[in-house]
Amino acid sequence: MINNFPWLTTIIFLPLAGSFLALFFARRPMFCRWTSLWVSLADLFLVAWLFTSNLQRHSWSTGKWLLAEDHPWIESLGIRYSLGLDGISLMLIFLTTFLTVLCILVSWKEINAKVGTFHFFLLFLETSIMGVFLATDLFLFYLFWEIQIIPMFFLIGIWGHEERVYATVKFILFTLAGSLFMLIALTGLYLIHGAKTSLYTFSLYQLIQTPLGFSTELWLYGAFLLAFAIKIPIFPVHTWLPDAHTQAPTAGSVILAGLLLKTGAYALLRFGFPLFPVAARFSVPLLLALGLIGLFYAAWIALAQKDLKRLVAYSSVGHMGIVVIGIAVWNTMTLSGATLQMINHGLTTSALFILVGMLDERVHTREIANFGGFWKKMPGFSAFFLFFAMASLGLPGLNNFVGEFLVLVGTIKTWPLVTWFGFAGLVLTVIYILTVVQKTVFEETRNEKFREQPLADITVREVLILAPLALAVLFIGLHPQPVLDLFEGPVGVLIGFLK
Amino acid sequence: MKTILFFLLFFPFVGGFILAVIGRYLPRRVAEWIACASVLGSLLMASLAFGAAGEKRYLLTLFDWIRVGDLSASMTVYYDHLAAIMALMVTFVSSLIHLYSVSFMRDDRDYVRYFCYMNLFVFSMLVITLADNLVFLYLGWEGVGFCSYILIGFWYSDVANATAGRKAFVLTRIGDVAFGIAIALFFLILDQLSIFSINSKAASLSAGTATLLALLLFWGAVGKSAQLPLIVWLPDAMAGPTPVSALIHAATMVTAGAYLLMRLFPVIALSSNAMVIIAAVAAFTGLFAALAALGQKDIKRILAYSTISQVSYMFLGIGAGDVTGGMYHLLSHAFFKALLFLGAGCVIQALHEEHDIFKMGNLRQRLPAVFWLYLVGSVSLAAIPPFGGFFSKDRILLSTFGHPEPIYKFLALIAEIGAVITVLYTFRMFFVAFLERPSLQEDFRKKDLKIPKFMVWINAPLAILAIFAASLNFPEVFGGKSWLAHYLASIPGGIPLSPASAPLERSMEIGSGLLNIAVLIAAYFLYRPEARFLGRPTPVVFRQRLEELLSSGFYLDRLYQVALVKPYQAMARILWLKVDEGVVDDQFDATANIFRFFSSGLQLWTTGRLSTYLKMLLLGFTAIVSALALGWYYLR
Repeated sequence: MINNFPWLTTIIFLPLAGSFLALFFARRPMFCRWTSLWVSLADLFLVAWLFTSNLQRHSWSTGKWLLAEDHPWIESLGIRYSLGLDGISLMLIFLTTFLTVLCILVSWKEINAKVGTFHFFLLFLETSIMGVFLATDLFLFYLFWEIQIIPMFFLIGIWGHEERVYATVKFILFTLAGSLFMLIALTGLYLIHGAKTSLYTFSLYQLIQTPLGFSTELWLYGAFLLAFAIKIPIFPVHTWLPDAHTQAPTAGSVILAGLLLKTGAYALLRFGFPLFPVAARFSVPLLLALGLIGLFYAAWIALAQKDLKRLVAYSSVGHMGIVVIGIAVWNTMTLSGATLQMINHGLTTSALFILVGMLDERVHTREIANFGGFWKKMPGFSAFFLFFAMASLGLPGLNNFVGEFLVLVGTIKTWPLVTWFGFAGLVLTVIYILTVVQKTVFEETRNEKFREQPLADITVREVLILAPLALAVLFIGLHPQPVLDLFEGPVGVLIGFLK
Repeated sequence: MKTILFFLLFFPFVGGFILAVIGRYLPRRVAEWIACASVLGSLLMASLAFGAAGEKRYLLTLFDWIRVGDLSASMTVYYDHLAAIMALMVTFVSSLIHLYSVSFMRDDRDYVRYFCYMNLFVFSMLVITLADNLVFLYLGWEGVGFCSYILIGFWYSDVANATAGRKAFVLTRIGDVAFGIAIALFFLILDQLSIFSINSKAASLSAGTATLLALLLFWGAVGKSAQLPLIVWLPDAMAGPTPVSALIHAATMVTAGAYLLMRLFPVIALSSNAMVIIAAVAAFTGLFAALAALGQKDIKRILAYSTISQVSYMFLGIGAGDVTGGMYHLLSHAFFKALLFLGAGCVIQALHEEHDIFKMGNLRQRLPAVFWLYLVGSVSLAAIPPFGGFFSKDRILLSTFGHPEPIYKFLALIAEIGAVITVLYTFRMFFVAFLERPSLQEDFRKKDLKIPKFMVWINAPLAILAIFAASLNFPEVFGGKSWLAHYLASIPGGIPLSPASAPLERSMEIGSGLLNIAVLIAAYFLYRPEARFLGRPTPVVFRQRLEELLSSGFYLDRLYQVALVKPYQAMARILWLKVDEGVVDDQFDATANIFRFFSSGLQLWTTGRLSTYLKMLLLGFTAIVSALALGWYYLR
C-alpha cells in the first residue's frame, strides 16, 4: 500500500502548493505565516512518518530504494521523472523539512516586508532542494539543482542586509558558472552513453554503466566536480559563501548552510563518484588536500573575523572540509561519517545562525567587538550559544563528534597522514570557537550602549526553535545508531560503485 | 553489579541534567541537595561495588553507542582493582568538595551553574575511571576538559578568568590530538577499542608500533596532566573558584593523564624507549615545577605548581614500571592536595580574596583550625615521614633508582632534588602564611576573619586520610602490610618490574626521610618570622632576576605567547584580508571584470539595480520552462 501512493512527489510538491497559497494571500502576512507553517509542518510529519515506518529496500526499475517513482516524461529525449529514496536521502529530506519549519518560525518577527513573497520563495526553495535529494534522473536533478538558485537569489537579494546585491550577484555568478560546466558535461555523458549503447537516457541507474575512456571521464568528472565544489564549497571556490551568508536574512543563512551546501556534497557522493569511478579515484588526493586545506584555512581565518555571522560562515567551510575528506576516502566508516556530518553541520550551524539572528534582532549589530557579557543579561540565550558552540567544536556526546570521529578514524586505513592532520585541524576549530564564545557571552559587554541597557532573554517562540535543534544534537550525539543504520544500506551500494 | 556501576556512573549525570534544565526554578537548598546527593549516591555505589566485587573483575556493556562497519564504540565499563580504587577516591573527594562548595559558594548567585558543571565533571571523571572502550573514555576525557574550561572561567566577567579557561581547553586539546590519533591507530592495528582487549592483545604489537602508541598516549596525558611542555595552563587555571581547583586541578582531572597510562600499561610497558622518555619528561617536569613554585607569591599558584610537580612523580613511577607506586602517590596526593586547596580556600575567603602569602601571616592565632589542617597537608606534601606522601613518593624514587637501566639513576637524582625543593617551597608557603607577622598585626585586627565552621570541619576526613594514607601501603620492611600493593597486584604492571632489595629500601627511606626533615628545619631558618624583616620590604631570598625567572615559570608562557600565539593571530588576519579576500577572491573578481569589460555593450547588467537582475532572471527562467513545456508537448 505504502508503495503505490506517490509519497515522494507529495513530499516534494506539497511545499510548492503551500508557496502558491502564500503568494496568493500575500496581503495578509499572518495568514501567510500560519499557512506556510502548517504546510511545512505537514511535510515534516510526512517525512517523520517515513522515518519511523521502518521501510525496507527492494528492487525498483531504477535500482534498490526504500521508495521510488519512475514515470516517462520527455520520452523522445529519454528524460524520465524518476525519484528514489534511500537512507541518505531520507535523512537529508528530514533535515530539509525540519529546517524549513524552523526557518518560518525564525522569520516570524524578522521578516516584515513582502511577507507573502518571502514565504513563497522559502517553500519554493524547500521543494527544489528536496527535488535535488530525491531525483535519480540526471536531467530532473539538473532542473532542481538550477531552480534552487533562484529563490535563494531573491531571498538574499530582497531580504538581505546592507550589501545584499553584491553578495547575491556573486552567489549566482559562482553557482551558475559551475552548473554551466555541469550541463555541458551532462549532455556529453548523455550523448556518449547514447552513442555507445543506442539507449538515450538520463537515468542515473543506466548512466553509471556507461563505458568511458579515461580522459573523457576525467573531463566530464572535472566539470561535475567544479559545480559541486562551488556548492560545498571547497577551497578555493568558497569565497562567495562568506559574503552570501553575511548578507542573507537568518532563514536564508540557515537554508544556505544547512541545506544548499549539502546538495553539493550529496551530489558528489550520489552522482560524481558513482558516475565516474576511475576519475574520482584519480581525484582523491586532490580532494583530500583541498579538504584539509579548507579545514585549516577556514578555521584559521575564522579567528580573525569581526562579524559573528561571517565567522559562522567560515566555520562552515571548515566543517565541510571534513565531509569532503569523508567522501574522498570512500569507505564504509568515512561515508557514514561524512553523511552524518552533513546532517550534523546542518543542525549546529543552523542553530548558530539562528542565534546570531536573535542577537541581531536585539542589538542590531553583528560586530563581535560590541558583544560580551551576555550571560549576565541573557542566560538562556547564552546557554544555548555555548551548547551549540560545543557541538560545533566536536565535544563527544554531541552530534558533530560522531561524524568527525567516524571520518577521521575511517581514514586511517588508507590515508593515515590525513587522520593526523585532521585531528590537528580540530584544534584550530577549538581555538576560534572558544574565542568567539568568550567574546560573546563571557567577559563584560564592550559596547557602552548595551552595557547599561537590559536585553530580553529568549522568548518561548525562540525556545521552541532552539530546543528541537538541541534535542536533535543530543540525540545524534548519544544515540546515533538509528541514523547510522539508515546509512548502512545506501553506503554499501555506494561502496560497490567504486570497487 | 551492572546496576551498581550504572548508578555509580549516572547519578551525577542525572543531577547535572536536572540542574541544567530546571535548576533555575528550584529553591537554592533543593538545588544544592540534588548536587550533593547525586555525588554522595555515587560514593555509596562505589563503596558497594568495591565490597561486592572482591577479587572479581567486570566487563559490562551499559549502552550501545556507535557501530559502523568494524568499528564498535559502546558504553562499556571495565571494573578492575585499579578502577575500583580510583572510583572510590574520585567519589569520596568529590563528595567532600561538593559539601564544602555549599558553604564556599554561599554568597554566589550562580550556584546552579556551578553545581551543574561540578556534577557533570564528576560524571565525566567517572567515565574516565571506569570506561573500557577508548571512545567512551574519550567522551569523559573531553567532558572533564569542558567542565574544567567552564569552571576556570566561572567568574567570566573578568577577562583574565575567561582567557585562562580557554587556554586550558586549547592546551589540553593539543594533547588530545595525539590521544585521538592513538585511538585511530588502535583501531587500525588491533581492530579493538576496548582497553581490556587491547591489553590482552598488546603482546602482538611490534616494538616500533608500541613506542609510537605509547608516546601518543603520553602526549595526550601530558596535555591533561600539565606536564612539560604543555605545563602553562594549570597555573592560570587557578582563576576558578578554589573548590574547583581542589577537585579538578589537583585531586582528579590532572591525574587522569597518569591514570590513562596506568590503564593501558601493557602497551606502554612494551616499549622501553617510551618508558625512558616518560620518566625523563616526568623527572624534569618535577624539578621545573618545584623551582617555579619556589618563586610564586599567590598561594594557589604555589599549589598549582606543586600539583604539576607531584603529578610528575606519578608519571615517573609509570616510567620506572611501578604502576602501584604511581597509583599510591595518586591517592595520597589526592587527599593532601585537596586538603591544602580547601584550606587555602578558607584562608582566601577569610582574608577577603587575598591570595598573596606575603600579605597573610598570623593565621596561627586567627584561624587555628585551618592552621592544623594545613600543617597536616604541608607535611604530607613535603613528604615528611611518617605521613602518606612520604611513603608514596619514596616508593617511586626507589623504583626509579632501582631500575636496571643506568639512565634511571640520573633521573632519580633529578627527582630527588625536586623532592628536596618541594620541602622548601611547601614550608616557605606555610611559615610565611601562618606564622606571626608583627607588621601586619594591625591590619588584621580590623578585618573580620569569619568563615563558616562547616567549611573548616568538612576537611577533617581529608586530614585524617592524609595522615593515615601511609597505612594504605605501609612498607613491609618496616613491618607494614603493603595492603595497596597486594590489592593492585592483579592489575597489569601492578608488580614492579625491578623490586628493590630490602636493605636498599630501608636505607633509602631512612636517608631521604632524614634529608627532608633537615630541609624542613632549614626552611624554618630561612622563612621564620624573625628572619624575614631584616630591612627588606618583602622577605625575598633570591636575587630579583632569579625571582622573576622562577615566578614566571621560566618564561615558558611568555615564550609561547611570542612564538606561537601572537604569530597565529597575526597570520589569521593576514590570511583573511590578504589571502582570502585578496588573492583568492580577487581572481574571481578579476575574472568577472574581464567579462564586464567584454560585455560593456550590455550596460543593463551593470546598472546594479536589483530589479533588472530579477527581471532578467525571471525572463530566462520562463524561457527555459516554456521551452521544456513545448518540448514535452510536441515530442511526446
